[in-house]
Amino acid sequence: MKNIKFQHKPSQKLYHNYIKRIKKQIAILPKEDQLDLLMEFNSHIFEGLQKKKETSETEKLIDVLDKLGNPEDILKSTVAEKKLVQATKTFNPVHIFRALVLNIANGVSYLFFSILYIFLLAFGFLIFQKIINPTKVGLYFEKGKFAVLGKTSEPTATEMLGNWFIPVMIICAVTLYFIITLLLKLKQKVKK
Amino acid sequence: MNNEFIHKWKSQVKKGTLAFIILNVLKGNEFYGYELIEEVKKFTAIEIAEGTLYPLMNRLKKEGLATSKWVEQESGIPRKYYVLTIVGEETLSRMKEYWNDLEVSINKISN
Repeated sequence: MKNIKFQHKPSQKLYHNYIKRIKKQIAILPKEDQLDLLMEFNSHIFEGLQKKKETSETEKLIDVLDKLGNPEDILKSTVAEKKLVQATKTFNPVHIFRALVLNIANGVSYLFFSILYIFLLAFGFLIFQKIINPTKVGLYFEKGKFAVLGKTSEPTATEMLGNWFIPVMIICAVTLYFIITLLLKLKQKVKK
Repeated sequence: MNNEFIHKWKSQVKKGTLAFIILNVLKGNEFYGYELIEEVKKFTAIEIAEGTLYPLMNRLKKEGLATSKWVEQESGIPRKYYVLTIVGEETLSRMKEYWNDLEVSINKISN
């Protein structure tokens, strides 16, 4: 991106600070989206400066940036939406997790997705627990009925999975993961 | 008269009609962001917070109502021009129908 050149130091500094705030706000988006957003705001500032009638360069810039608003406020919804698009395209868990966090404010359904995601993390946590505490963690049945999935010291409960515990937990996590991602994709399509 | 109530109501109306206004201004035209804001200001008394235009344009693009393209400039700082799609034009004409119906009803009630 081509930066706007200023004659005076204060305006240069003001401009750079503003651009820096935009960059910080959009840093979690794909490079392509970042450049597009940055260029659009840069263009807005440039075009604004050409049209303002104030006498000094700094006054013009202050007026343009003031009317434009805080980068944090303006970009919030765009970043949340674009992150969600990226998340459902890539199947990357990090993107999905971040997109969900950003979108919780946008509706109850994302809260539901986040809860599903916590379940997903729980399977991971169980595997970790099993490694630390192999004799007390598992899928326990008591008198033929499901009792505990996790840690128990109940002597009458019998563990059902044995060495299969970790593989089964991995399969559960992967399955849930695909279900979440597919549901998210479906939701995006319905919205359109 | 309750000024605070009017103020809140006005801001709700503005928020609710901004997309409709933008689509109308964009119809038959090609504008870049800053120009689009100036056009909106020319036609309406709505003082739009300039920054809110961009998330809105992003949404209109995502919904398939508008597209954009970057056009290089002599200054070296390109402009992003927005234009309505066919879907956008059709959507707008439906919105106009609804708006006209609403106007008729409101005039009947408030007279």
